[in-house]
Amino acid sequence: MKNYLKMGIVLMIFAVIVAAALSAVYSITKDPIDKAELNFKLSAIKTVLTDYKTGKLLISESDVPDSLEKLDEKIWKQTDEENLFYSSQYKAYVASPVYRFTLEDGRDAYLVTGGGIAYGGYVKILASFIKNESGLEMFEIEVLDYSQETPGLGAKIAEAKPKERFFNIPEQGLEKGLKVDKDAGVSVKNTKDFIENEKKDGVIVTSDIMTGATITPRGVANALNAMYEYLKNEIGGEE
Amino acid sequence: MMAESKNVPMIKELSKGIFESNPAFVQALGMCPTLATTTSATNGLGMGLATLSVLVMSNIVVSLIRKLVPEKIRIPIYIIIIAGFVTMIDLLMHGFTYDLWKTLGLFIPLIVVNCVILGRAESFASKNGIFRSILDGIGMGLGFTLALTLLGAVREIFGAGSIFGITLWGDAFNVFIMILPPGAFITLGLLIATFNWIGISKKEKAKKKAAIEKAKSQKVGDAA
Repeated sequence: MKNYLKMGIVLMIFAVIVAAALSAVYSITKDPIDKAELNFKLSAIKTVLTDYKTGKLLISESDVPDSLEKLDEKIWKQTDEENLFYSSQYKAYVASPVYRFTLEDGRDAYLVTGGGIAYGGYVKILASFIKNESGLEMFEIEVLDYSQETPGLGAKIAEAKPKERFFNIPEQGLEKGLKVDKDAGVSVKNTKDFIENEKKDGVIVTSDIMTGATITPRGVANALNAMYEYLKNEIGGEE
Repeated sequence: MMAESKNVPMIKELSKGIFESNPAFVQALGMCPTLATTTSATNGLGMGLATLSVLVMSNIVVSLIRKLVPEKIRIPIYIIIIAGFVTMIDLLMHGFTYDLWKTLGLFIPLIVVNCVILGRAESFASKNGIFRSILDGIGMGLGFTLALTLLGAVREIFGAGSIFGITLWGDAFNVFIMILPPGAFITLGLLIATFNWIGISKKEKAKKKAAIEKAKSQKVGDAA
């Protein structure tokens, strides 16, 4: 009995010492971690507000948020609950908060974070939607978390080329519900005009550059569908 | 396992982990991170260095406390220590090397159950002094890092046409399967074979040399 008690106490002492050391490291790294997370978010926001063709920033340089306070000023919708919106049809969600930026030309841009079911859980994206006179355009996306996707297959989603296939989708296409080309059953021609034209029908062509991985782009398309559904209702309700 | 004796020269404690008992190529320990994280040279190097630092620190602490730890609960104590260091590394990488932390993701917490680390704590650090344990940790860690980097480099060169992110021939020639799990097994198999071949040919050379020496000394003896 005495022996067991001694072992228990020794084990406890070790656990307490390690816990104390851990809490010290935690308090040292807390600020750098918050900063790293924020920087990642801020650079993603800047990316989706930059025209990838010209490299031109759509908002004025002074409007680019560089701190949490400045970013919080741009909050358009937020909730204390887990998500702002969940689409059971697309199995995708819209996360809180949604930001609104005013572009230099006066248009509104909505920055939405969300995710859709991909190969290994949710693939998380940030998307910018711009309100044009002709309707709501999905401008650009940035992939935030794809850590569970297969390297070389699904993980390609974070590369520039596959991402670009999702850029500049007009409302016409969003209204139809986005699909990847395999689900839409179109035969793929790898020409620029073809790829751009299909966007009007809501078809995202990825199968020529993401061979063997349909599920991941499908997750991104579904996330965008949920975002569009959410924005349509919210913006419509405001007007 | 090799015999740990006080007669082994210090430098040997360091070098044994890199070649003759390389944890990945010779002992075949820690296969999960070896296969899963080596999709590129950078990932392999990052994972190897994270393991190296945990290994050195846990070896130091285990060696320091080796006389205080009751025999029956030594394994839980080692695991508490290792888990503590791994969590520290995880926090530090999250704060200071964000991109690498994101890529390695789930595999950092899994260093806790990497059998290289517990294996060295149990079979070496708990029986040897602190300096030898540090050297052993550095040697084994370097051996592991070398193995992962080599594996990652080979897979990246043939699978993505680049090395450490620097494009060599890009998309011009890619063996796509190298990035996928089968590529990991194939490359690892070939590298283990290479290491064994080097080891065997070294041993044979030593044998031949010994035989010649023996013959010479016999001749000398005969002449006398």
